[in-house]
Amino acid sequence: MMKRLAFLVALVLLPAALFGAARQVYVFNWTEYIDPDVLKQFEAETGIKVRYATYESNEAMFAKLKLVKKGGYDVAFPSTYYVERMRKHGLVTRLDKSKLPNLRHLNPTLMDKAYDPGNAYSVPYMWGSSAIGVNRKAVDPKTITSWNDLWNPRYKGKVLLMDDVREVFAMALRSMGYSGNTTDPVQIRLAYEKLLKLKPSVKVFNSDSPAQPFLNKEVIIGQIWGGAVYQANQESPDLVLVYPKEGAIFWVDNMVIPSSARDVDAAHLFIDFMCRPDVAKKNCEFIGYATANLTAQNMLSPKTKNHKAVYPGDETVKKGEFQADVGDAIRIYEKYWEMLKTR
Amino acid sequence: MSRVFRWVYLGLIYAFLYVPIAVLVVYSFNSSKYSTNWQGFTLKWYGQLVSDSPLREAFVNSLVIAFASSVCATILGTLAAFAFYRYRFVGRKVLYTFIYIVMMSPDIVMGISLLMFFVTLGLATGALTLLIAHITFCLPFVVVTVYSRISGLDRSIIDVAKDLGANEMQVFRHVVMPLLMPAIIAGWLLSFTLSLDDVVVSFFTTGPSFDILPLRIYSMVRLGIKPEINALSTVMFALSLVTVTVAHLVTKEKT
Amino acid sequence: MNRGVFRFISVGSTVSWIVLFVVIPYLFVVLFSTVSYEGLISGVIDLSLDGFREICSSVFLEVCISSFSLALGATVLTLLVAYPYAYILTRLPEAVKRVMLLLMIIPFWTSSLVRTYALIILLKANGIVNSVLLYAGLIDEPLSMLYTQWSVFAGLVYTLLPFMVLPIYSSLQKLDWRLVEAARDLGATPFSVFARVVLPLTMPGLIAGSTMVFLPALGLFYIPDLLGGARSMLIGNYIKNQFLVAGNWSAGSAASVVLTLLMCLCIYGYFLSARKARTESMGGMP
Repeated sequence: MMKRLAFLVALVLLPAALFGAARQVYVFNWTEYIDPDVLKQFEAETGIKVRYATYESNEAMFAKLKLVKKGGYDVAFPSTYYVERMRKHGLVTRLDKSKLPNLRHLNPTLMDKAYDPGNAYSVPYMWGSSAIGVNRKAVDPKTITSWNDLWNPRYKGKVLLMDDVREVFAMALRSMGYSGNTTDPVQIRLAYEKLLKLKPSVKVFNSDSPAQPFLNKEVIIGQIWGGAVYQANQESPDLVLVYPKEGAIFWVDNMVIPSSARDVDAAHLFIDFMCRPDVAKKNCEFIGYATANLTAQNMLSPKTKNHKAVYPGDETVKKGEFQADVGDAIRIYEKYWEMLKTR
Repeated sequence: MSRVFRWVYLGLIYAFLYVPIAVLVVYSFNSSKYSTNWQGFTLKWYGQLVSDSPLREAFVNSLVIAFASSVCATILGTLAAFAFYRYRFVGRKVLYTFIYIVMMSPDIVMGISLLMFFVTLGLATGALTLLIAHITFCLPFVVVTVYSRISGLDRSIIDVAKDLGANEMQVFRHVVMPLLMPAIIAGWLLSFTLSLDDVVVSFFTTGPSFDILPLRIYSMVRLGIKPEINALSTVMFALSLVTVTVAHLVTKEKT
Repeated sequence: MNRGVFRFISVGSTVSWIVLFVVIPYLFVVLFSTVSYEGLISGVIDLSLDGFREICSSVFLEVCISSFSLALGATVLTLLVAYPYAYILTRLPEAVKRVMLLLMIIPFWTSSLVRTYALIILLKANGIVNSVLLYAGLIDEPLSMLYTQWSVFAGLVYTLLPFMVLPIYSSLQKLDWRLVEAARDLGATPFSVFARVVLPLTMPGLIAGSTMVFLPALGLFYIPDLLGGARSMLIGNYIKNQFLVAGNWSAGSAASVVLTLLMCLCIYGYFLSARKARTESMGGMP
């Protein structure tokens, strides 16, 4: 029995020992958020092996990186304001731009944002929006122009909201003309009171796969990711994305080097490789989200390039807002979120 | 209870258990990547399964961890249940209460506290820490299952065995364990099932080079769960069925 | 091997594993409920009860109540489904029994997330169940099944069933059926045979099963969220959000500690009542 156990333990530990030899880069990301072929190409070109570990949310990734001080991951992919949060907690390394010549291909509208001025710590990878999703069979998209339309009693019991405190409050705050990044407790309270009126209309909170309740005919209107609409449109044209006049909410997934990285050079090589236009194009086609790489974007097929849900155009982007870290005010948000959920 | 009623009841239970599995099997042939609506027949997800080596690696890792941790937890848990039953030692009731605390602890609390403990010890996260974590959260289920059976045991059986000259080890091995077998097997099955499905504790206690299947599945949320997972589940399901059938035929021939 | 050595091994392994990997990590949690993580890292340990103050609100109370009632409901339903099943199973021939039991557990080796999605496909407005009912002409309008209390319970029973079935089954397995026959011979009705012979003898399994369903169900939130539409908050969500979203580890730990204390109170209450009923050997606690 003991021998068998020892064998099992050895079996478990063996892979780690085997791969110990070659140079490696540890990537921490969502599952298949990079085209697997791209990873193979990187390995072939540089001789550096890619070890790809996964997480399910920014929050979980942040909590883990906060605890793991050394021997951690070389590249991580935090969204928008998580870059700022990680920087404030000393979890990211300053980038060496001289090692990242391909940065010049990136879209200037996505650079130098409030969450990382001058892109000192992060490089944008994919980006997208959250706006209003409408089932055009049930609701005429032309009648929808504003976040406030969600409050229309006609849609009672047929509304979807994201299951994400910041997304939902940003939407309500924008609908009242405030910034979605406010730290003013009064504005947050007002947004909460307004949301409380929306709560009875809400059928489901879902931010993982918000297109599903639309396709399942459970809801007809609600918050949705642009990328989810694009994916749903591959099969059904009924789901339409409307950018509200108060401005949509935008997110950017970025590449950063955690301060617990083992091989900072390899991490730079990897990030620069991901910024190469041909690579960015491959990733973009594989994932179906908007690439932050302008050169790659121009290489895409017109059908994708012109899909409004994916590439909304500069005007819409300018009108919208990118989420920023709200610091300790997140606890106020969370408090109202709990109240909203329990009422 | 009438015979008919029995079979109807069993039928309903198995229908409840297997209709969703059947749906999953059918949808593994659905050509649609994103929607939960039927779009046409395809085998491409099985094809992708063959070429997706990271997924297969995660799957194998999961099986290895589930098997190793459930076996360890069963051995440890059975010994623990016996110790709780037979011996008086300091902190016995407090320790038993902790068994319940583990069972009730939200995953996130357990994951973070275990990771903090490993970091404090200077242990690098990886297969070993994952194994420890899995054994730990499986342990209470074995202890409670086995204890529920041991507590109904007639203590005089042990006394008789002792009178007949058996030592403590022999009592455990030849008297108590056979009586506990159904509970031990039940505990092992539960541990295996739990370990195979855990996400949050595993996320915090595994390292960058040891990915397991549930983590990969949950981390798909960004792009939607791929039908490839349905294909993988179908394959695994078919393998389990074959194993059970073969085991049944083999044991039947023996007896 | 003499008594001393075996005792040393079994008690030693139990004590050391629980102390090392359960008690010590749990002490971290208790510690965190009173000091901040940043303070601990920088070495400035300032005791404060902010975490506990944070959760002293009607919200936390409501969250606890809805979690307890959901867990309790799930436990009762699972018990009602599992007991007859386990009972019928034990009356089958040995070989069939084993196969049936394995067939029961196999579906649970598939990721619970994937199975929950399969349930959604069944229950959604344009799903399989509705299509079948519409086709059969039993209903004119699709039934609203998803995002209701019932879909949540269906999902919970579907996830927790083996944790109830297996312990009940293992205690039914050792049941001395001669006792049942004797009771019948003495003229007991089927109901009183069940209530006064079978049920008391299988009580340990029933309690073990209920514990293994109720306690994990307390912290469970993924299935209620997916099938219930996430319109309410459960204690699992609450604690997770405190840790991950709000970054408030003190409040998260404090909530966890309070939850533990509540549970200890329940166990203590159960212990007292069990002692009163003079059925101390019913199982559960040693």
